[in-house]
Amino acid sequence: MAFRIAAQWLHSCAGCEMAILDTGSRLLSLLDGIELVHMPLLVDNKYHAPDRPPEEADIPPADLGLVSGGVANREQLELLQAMRRRCSFLVGLGTCASHGGIPAMINSWPLAEGLAATYENIESGTPPAAGSIPAPLDRVYAVDEKVNIDLLLPGCPPDPEQIHQVLTTLAAGTRPPARTGSVCDRCPTRRHSMADRPQVRRFVEAAAFDPDRPVAAMPCLLEQGLLCMGPVTAGGCEHHGAPACIGARAPCRGCYGPVAGQGNQMVAMMNILASHGLDFRSVVDRRAMLRFAGAHGLLRPVKPK
Amino acid sequence: MPHQSTILAFCCTWCAYPAADLAGTARMDYPAELRIIRVMCSGMVHPDLVLTALEKGAAGVMVLGCRPGGCHYRDGNTITLARMEMVEELMEDFGFDRRRLFVGWCSAAEPDRFADMVRRMSARLERLQGAGEEN
Repeated sequence: MAFRIAAQWLHSCAGCEMAILDTGSRLLSLLDGIELVHMPLLVDNKYHAPDRPPEEADIPPADLGLVSGGVANREQLELLQAMRRRCSFLVGLGTCASHGGIPAMINSWPLAEGLAATYENIESGTPPAAGSIPAPLDRVYAVDEKVNIDLLLPGCPPDPEQIHQVLTTLAAGTRPPARTGSVCDRCPTRRHSMADRPQVRRFVEAAAFDPDRPVAAMPCLLEQGLLCMGPVTAGGCEHHGAPACIGARAPCRGCYGPVAGQGNQMVAMMNILASHGLDFRSVVDRRAMLRFAGAHGLLRPVKPK
Repeated sequence: MPHQSTILAFCCTWCAYPAADLAGTARMDYPAELRIIRVMCSGMVHPDLVLTALEKGAAGVMVLGCRPGGCHYRDGNTITLARMEMVEELMEDFGFDRRRLFVGWCSAAEPDRFADMVRRMSARLERLQGAGEEN
């Protein structure tokens, strides 16, 4: 019998689905052994009629469930719970699912303030009428805050290699290997010392490097004074032997979330700057270090003094 | 006056912890709300530990190490200072008054100084509580 896969997107941008597509020609050979029983992006199976409450979502049973996106409203929560009921193995795909992702940045403000700021800045200027959109939750959640998740696969988007590996190993009935280490652990740049770098500068001018020489010949971007989130970000994004952004000669933005599951990238990065003698006050917007991992209560409104 | 609050102190194994030990054997008085965690060096106290202690309900956190220049590892306490200055700044992001963190130094032979720092921290937290500045 074919391996049944259900895929549901929640508070998502379709980037994770694009990453599935990016597995390229191997996806075709994979498709021989699997059956996509539910995927709103591709298959319209009327799982969710607008006049019915979402808890009646009719998601077919599956061996593997993929959820991308975080949970921001009642409808997404109930779809997530339906996925959990119907799938024997549930994977949180992408950083929104595992750590809240970009949408969780709204957790920095009280809900009412966030909604007001959002709708005052668009053309129509008025928030949607009550009941016309699903009721928002008090904040944006990662999926593992709401249901049990069997495997989290972070990344914005996750590396197609990993997606392919996860799909093939799970379809074969085994577990994919655990990933460990940070972006720095897998980064080939030359490291020397941070001692002569008192300030952190913003990435508004390019790093110093020789375009004719490989990434391994480039000095570490953090040592160049650029705010590179490599030390506090889970690795796994390598292409051609270097982490994706570093390979493009740009500092890591932290999209795989913290190295250890429940770590706080902002605290960890500030700690690294401070204990290496850099001026941590030269960081312009430190809360942006949680731009990918603001769920789990890490980003929250600052109480006015 | 009975109170339930807890002060968590990270004491380095070379100076602050022996000072606490000595304060105990010398039967010095200091507030009973103190809970001590012994660490090899105050410089190894990760900011996460301080913030987690406050999150979990500690009224205050003390990080106590050797006097400047007297660090067993030469410059461990300068790292402590750099880290804790940063933590004070971060505490505001997490909604904690920065006075809930106390960074201090004492030598192994200064139990009176140790006891005095704990008393000062306890009094400071009581004032904060009194001013209604809950977190």
